[in-house]
Amino acid sequence: MHVTHSRRRRAMALVALAATAGLALSACSAGDDGGSGGGGDDDPIVIGVSLPLTGDFSEPGKGVERGYEAWAEIVNEQGGLLGRQVELKILDDQSNADRVVSDYESLIAQDGVDLVFGPFSTRLVVPSARVAQEYGMLFVEPAGAAAEVFEQGFENLFYAAPAVADDHYNYLADYLLSLPEGERPKTAAVAAMDDPFAQGTAYGLRDKLEEGGVEILVDEVYPPNTTDFSVIAAKIAESNADVVIGGSQYQDGVNLIIALQQLDYQPKVAAFSTAPTNPEFAAAIGNQTEGILSPTGWSPTASFPSNVEFVEKYTEIFGNPPAEDEANAYTTGQVVAAAVEAVGCAEQGECQQQLIDWLHENTVDTVVGPLSWDEAGRPSGAHLIQQWVGGEIKIVLPEDAKEADFIYPKPAW
Amino acid sequence: MSGPLFLQSLILGVLLGGLYALLAAGLTLYFGIMRVVMIAHSAFLILAAYLAWWFNRETGLDPMLSLVVTVPVFFLAGFAMQRLLVSRLKPLTLTMMSVLLTFAIALIIEGALGFIFTGTQRRIQLPYAGDSLDVFGAQVPVVKLVAFVLAAFALLSLYLLLKYTRFGRALRATIQHPEAARLVGIDTDRTAGYGFGLGLATAAIGGTALSLDATIYPSLHWHWIGPLMAIIVVGGLGSIPGAAIAAMLLGISQSLLQIPLGATWAQTVFYVALFATLMFRPQGFFGGRLAQRF
Amino acid sequence: MRNDSERTASAGRTASADLGPALTETVVVAPDAPRRRRRWSRAVSLALLVVGAALVLSFPFIAPNPYILSAGVVILNYAVLSTGWNFMGGFTGYISLGHAAYFGLGAYGTGLIVKYLELPGFVAWVLAALVVVAISVPVGIAALRVRGASFVIVSIAFVLILLLVFQSWREFTGGSEGLIVPRPFPDLLRPEHHRAFFYLFAGLLAAALVAWWVIDRSKFGTALKSIREDEDKARSLGVPTTRYKLIAYVLSALVTGLGGGLYALWFGDLDPIFQFSILIGSYMVLMALLGGVRHLFGPLLGALIVGIALEYFKLEFGDTQFHLVAAGLLLGVVVLFMPDGVIPAVGQLIDRFRPQQTSIRDVSAAELLEQNRRSDASATGAADAREASGEASTRDASDVSDASDPKEVTR
Repeated sequence: MHVTHSRRRRAMALVALAATAGLALSACSAGDDGGSGGGGDDDPIVIGVSLPLTGDFSEPGKGVERGYEAWAEIVNEQGGLLGRQVELKILDDQSNADRVVSDYESLIAQDGVDLVFGPFSTRLVVPSARVAQEYGMLFVEPAGAAAEVFEQGFENLFYAAPAVADDHYNYLADYLLSLPEGERPKTAAVAAMDDPFAQGTAYGLRDKLEEGGVEILVDEVYPPNTTDFSVIAAKIAESNADVVIGGSQYQDGVNLIIALQQLDYQPKVAAFSTAPTNPEFAAAIGNQTEGILSPTGWSPTASFPSNVEFVEKYTEIFGNPPAEDEANAYTTGQVVAAAVEAVGCAEQGECQQQLIDWLHENTVDTVVGPLSWDEAGRPSGAHLIQQWVGGEIKIVLPEDAKEADFIYPKPAW
Repeated sequence: MSGPLFLQSLILGVLLGGLYALLAAGLTLYFGIMRVVMIAHSAFLILAAYLAWWFNRETGLDPMLSLVVTVPVFFLAGFAMQRLLVSRLKPLTLTMMSVLLTFAIALIIEGALGFIFTGTQRRIQLPYAGDSLDVFGAQVPVVKLVAFVLAAFALLSLYLLLKYTRFGRALRATIQHPEAARLVGIDTDRTAGYGFGLGLATAAIGGTALSLDATIYPSLHWHWIGPLMAIIVVGGLGSIPGAAIAAMLLGISQSLLQIPLGATWAQTVFYVALFATLMFRPQGFFGGRLAQRF
Repeated sequence: MRNDSERTASAGRTASADLGPALTETVVVAPDAPRRRRRWSRAVSLALLVVGAALVLSFPFIAPNPYILSAGVVILNYAVLSTGWNFMGGFTGYISLGHAAYFGLGAYGTGLIVKYLELPGFVAWVLAALVVVAISVPVGIAALRVRGASFVIVSIAFVLILLLVFQSWREFTGGSEGLIVPRPFPDLLRPEHHRAFFYLFAGLLAAALVAWWVIDRSKFGTALKSIREDEDKARSLGVPTTRYKLIAYVLSALVTGLGGGLYALWFGDLDPIFQFSILIGSYMVLMALLGGVRHLFGPLLGALIVGIALEYFKLEFGDTQFHLVAAGLLLGVVVLFMPDGVIPAVGQLIDRFRPQQTSIRDVSAAELLEQNRRSDASATGAADAREASGEASTRDASDVSDASDPKEVTR
């Protein structure tokens, strides 16, 4: 027995050696082309990102990827940052928390990237923000809007959008509750994906309506991988609630709406997070979109100077106008770029703390308007409410920003 | 729980149970023939769904037309898989190793689907996706009805094929007693290969039915294999009618339990049934001796 | 034909590796145990062990950056898990695809105990291991009532059911949001944290390997292996198969659970989809099989190969699902062509070039008997198996519930 062991052991030692050597080699080579020499003036600024390009969040993940790419292209066209070109290094985390951590670890520690951008989805933001924090990196993220993100004590984190998830529907809740007694909705049904962001938005509206005296008849949670919504839809249809609130990402929202259509349920208000702003949404639900609501932090028609440029250039690059995920990603780029230009550095080390300090003290003009943050990284704005009107999605709330009148009650779908 | 909601859920449960029944029938067929637990069954199911989706996207024709291609191709793939791969395994460790082998095939299919079609969720957009029929106040979605009819038709065909054709008799003989089957002149190896092909053909039909009204993504097969395996154990390993009955009962239970428990907890009904079966009646509730006589 | 000769050779090879020293006392339960003489000195093997251990211990200082170090921690974790799996899979031949269940339970157990009882991390780790043992006993009893197909189904079902529970019971487990486990060493910087856990994992691995080695050489281990070779014969010869299988199962769950708990303390963020994934369970099986389930260092070797390959695929093919295809192909190749793993395959290759090997090899009576039996069997080949399985299937009840069927083959 000991004899075979010895042979095994030798084989193992060889493998271990080969492994160590191989890893060391790959580390060196990666370090070379990864731009660890961040000091050189002509080297590109390398920005590491991990995104869910496959898995549960691949749909929004790809939107964020397009947004980052558009940002890099536009920045490079205008001469780069600090006179250096920017280069994105994007890894796929497959929507897994373990992947996202090792992705950021390899980006920061192995590839030596100069800056990092955040991933998509709250679930992935928290673990990756911790990695960034422990390496002292600035962490601006486009998608971690749920309350818990800001309760972890991160000092390096900034959410690049106007409002946290719970506040997305504030304008809608205020509007509905201000309706006269007879018209005001009396009942509501909620179905939310088991995801902090989707739930944050839906529960923000649910709780505000409940406080205002609306009765919650159905309150369902479904796992992110749910594909059969028929029974959830049956419950909602059975309750015949006036308001249906969907805490959705994209495909689940589409599936739920189709299942509700199949059961011929006709609510007075239908509000879904993120899904209705997707460019494929209308086709996916058979163009029965009239009156569907969605909160958005960004509008393609907003007149902030950089926004006009963004929409124009983006459409030029990709052939179709951007959506909200793309805009959030672009905003992230803008926020980091503003800090880099102001502080005048982009590399690992002390520079990162200077960037963080600068963002805590300043306001940045972005495609979603001017942004500033509290000490936990919460932005201090509010989201707009959009509605599908005549085959297009338009801003209906608040009054002073509206592009069309709020349709209430919602026409049949 | 009110009457209409109950009826609605019952109908949805029956429609779901039909699909489960078809898929479980295929899975139990492999087990009957060769004592193989075919983990890749649901991966082939998703593969067929992807092919239907892709066919629909490329041609714009009804996804069900893709069956003309997928059913024969899957049949041949199943035949080849049995002859070239499964039959190479050592008989002594066949059950365990075949699990791993088919598991490997499932991983390859999932990875290849992700590689080719990316992990994005897909859904066929049918003109009648949102339509429904009114049955005693309950709404029966047309797409689900079509899927159910497709599954029921395939299951009936499988039954008739096994029951009344020469090949069916040979296959049942191979399942019951391969030695005796060989003695009466049946080429059991070839028959087993055909049986595998038949199993995969059911996956092709099931996948197409699934694609009509569901979102698909590469790793979806994990959500099917668990319930399906529970069904064939509850129904009695190797028993096709047992699998069909268990599938229908569990499908309806799942659908009805979703009302009080919610979507997630309702799925546990399969595993509760599985553990209960193993504790109290390991040979299954509807199979056992009778199963062997079909 | 080639298959048959391979089969014969491998049977002799593996049996000798396992049963060599214990042969005299175990002839009865291991009728096919042959002996092959080896002349490698104990000193050489000890030296190699020392070199290997030194290499592992010095890795944190060789590693060029913290990322490589964290990859090393992941690989050691895999090695712990697959060694843990091998307490069941290697000794008894019961292949569990669901050992990720105990990985997840160990991890979540640790995290939840820290969260709710506010105990220090490592106390929680030990308590969680006890919880894992407490859970694995009833599950083991239920799962081991059945053999073969049903055992695998139960093992997979157990993971799926835990995934459902941990995803859905959000008030307690945090649901899909996951669970954050506080660091046991809050003051350490990230690279130092990795280094500390590298040694902790190495220590756990060493403990698991020693335990495996001790069992391997014990009477208990021999009895377990007799279950693997022929459970019914073992039973008829008085081996308390049910109890022994259960002990092996619980031990296996314990080591896997300890690995999971340590992972929780190291990684900090638990997500039900990762903790209870069939993929993790299948990696354990792949690693152990690839290295060689009958060998002490088999799972470790497999973990090295698979772990490095996985990291490589992630770095090179980051945004594709290619790693799944690669893992699937590797598993398929191992199952079809070298079910005994790399170590025996390499071992045989070395044997061929060994100078002291005479051209006429020693063949023991038992080995000869086995060879004859195998070649007889191979003549009728697969037919026999199907005959036997057919017979088993006509008695479905005994097939799955009871070990009394002498022709039982669905092991």
